[in-house]
Amino acid sequence: MTIKWSYMDHWRANGPSGPYDQWQSRLAMTRFLRQVAAVGFDAIDTFDFRIWQIFEQYGSVANYQEFVQEQGLERIVNTFHGVYYTPDRYAPEVPSTHVTILDDFKRTMDMWSGIQLDNIIVMPGSRYFDEAGVPDDGLKHAADVWGRVGELTQQYGVNLTCHHEFYAGIRTRDQIDRFYSYADPQYVKFFVDTAQHCIADVDPVGVYEAHHERVTGFHFKDTRHKDTNHDYRMFPDAEVSATTTEKWFYEMGTAEGLVDFEAMMRSVRDHGYTGWISVEHDKADKLGGDYAESTAIARWYAKNVLDGIYQEVAS
Amino acid sequence: MTGVRWAYALNQWDTNIDTFVRKREHERAFKTVSISGFSAVELTAESFGAWEPLGTPQQITDLYGSVGEFGQVLRDCALKGISSYVYDPFVGFDVEMGRGYDPLEGASIPKITATAQWFARAVHELGGDVLVVRPAGSAWQTGSLSDEQIGALARCWNEVGAALPQGVKLALHLDFLSALRLNRGVERLLDATDAGLVGLALDTAEYAIAGIDPVDFYRRHADRVTHVQLKNARDVVDDDEALTPHAEQFVRTEGGSRGVGRWFFEPTDEGGLVDFDAFAHALAEHHYSGWVVVESDQSPHPAESAMVSGWYVQKVLRPIVEDTLP
Repeated sequence: MTIKWSYMDHWRANGPSGPYDQWQSRLAMTRFLRQVAAVGFDAIDTFDFRIWQIFEQYGSVANYQEFVQEQGLERIVNTFHGVYYTPDRYAPEVPSTHVTILDDFKRTMDMWSGIQLDNIIVMPGSRYFDEAGVPDDGLKHAADVWGRVGELTQQYGVNLTCHHEFYAGIRTRDQIDRFYSYADPQYVKFFVDTAQHCIADVDPVGVYEAHHERVTGFHFKDTRHKDTNHDYRMFPDAEVSATTTEKWFYEMGTAEGLVDFEAMMRSVRDHGYTGWISVEHDKADKLGGDYAESTAIARWYAKNVLDGIYQEVAS
Repeated sequence: MTGVRWAYALNQWDTNIDTFVRKREHERAFKTVSISGFSAVELTAESFGAWEPLGTPQQITDLYGSVGEFGQVLRDCALKGISSYVYDPFVGFDVEMGRGYDPLEGASIPKITATAQWFARAVHELGGDVLVVRPAGSAWQTGSLSDEQIGALARCWNEVGAALPQGVKLALHLDFLSALRLNRGVERLLDATDAGLVGLALDTAEYAIAGIDPVDFYRRHADRVTHVQLKNARDVVDDDEALTPHAEQFVRTEGGSRGVGRWFFEPTDEGGLVDFDAFAHALAEHHYSGWVVVESDQSPHPAESAMVSGWYVQKVLRPIVEDTLP
């Protein structure tokens, strides 16, 4: 296996009755999946909080994956585990919440056991909510709980992998390096989001190369802004509430982007990564953007530029 | 291996003079079309005449330096070029604020011929081989065409067909408001024209809206069809409605008394008047060779329409047309 491309299923458009997404109806889902398949993606990723809609609309996760396959896609590769972290209820840095976290993953993995996922993706630290940042003990507590969660998910054949938002508690290169120095490499994997790292002024190629042995996937997406105004402090979610930057994320393959995808791809190739690369551009519809067009442009770039780099012999 | 090639029309992007102007917008559309599985685009000069971005060889030259440099941009976006240009002689290209020429009038023929040659040279330079034309005015303007009028149209289009550069074919396009919908106008014009010079562009949605079954029509006239445009429709316009004065405005644009909001849809399996499966089988049976241009005029989501259409072509139509079903 070399590499294959999956699409992380952010989607929204305006219809005759207002904004809608692909979960509005099975017809909307059909059209969404066909667009993704038409431009050459092999699979999709999704969010596990869609589980109840999946049960209602498709009956089971396996049925939904069959629906995906009927449109010409191979499977569902990864799911993102989105949680509203708060230190009193659910926070990796806070040991008193770890029982809740473990219970959550037992329930989640059972609900998704009808299909074989590669990764369940988490934010390893809470959102930024404290001027002091996450203390070193907090990083150790987070590493501990994700190690135990990863041991659990691997019983289902699924990697627990960590995705570092620019506004999250574990966001700087130093925090990331220390977190992984505490985390068991067998159970705690790393999922590189090129734009998130870039916004946080972390070189995505550099951080990948430092931790490539535990990398189990990527979000290839772009940005046009680094966070130079401490927007990451804007609780609860600087991706949508930052005052200085209305749109953080863009599809890869545009001249204005800050991420050097060609360098990223050379590094991925040279480090022998094989498997899935996920393409993502959440909030692509802001400021007049269009999810469909962004998805086509990103896939065009993957096919016409990045695939060629991957196929070159490593220098 | 067949001689069928798949292109996509830019209609739904190219709707005004002040949008879809910048190279960046063009490149995004071209890349979307390419990655959706099409090898070329069809250009049109219908929406805004002489000022329309990409609407004429002059506009292309003004925006890109030359037609040839525009061709390089297409290739850089992983397209082979254009399939075709759509030219409406009723649109004026040589007189500021002017109207074009009516092919019914003999004096128009040299003007129409010269303009057609202008477009055809660009088609050839950009790798295409079809000039699609609007062969007659609207039904409300003339009513049913007499044999003499059909003869006048035939003279015009025979002359134009003979004057096109080597390698570019002329294809007559029936729109659903055309006078040719009345009293078997299309068939009579085909009979009156030289099959070696004048072909037909069969647009599935325009025929369906005009109440003509495109599958049946294709089967009866496959030998004359040199160009196919594929799109869907959901509503029929009968002859009485087509005779509404200024029907282009009151029916096509405003939706007529029924308030039809959108006439054209992308080809899919979601329903509509056109049986694409049957149409694709008819193309295969008659060994169609040439462009199939997919269109989604009036789509509010151009990229989505191109991608959904691309899926339908790749997964359903192409295996039928190119006879590659297992």
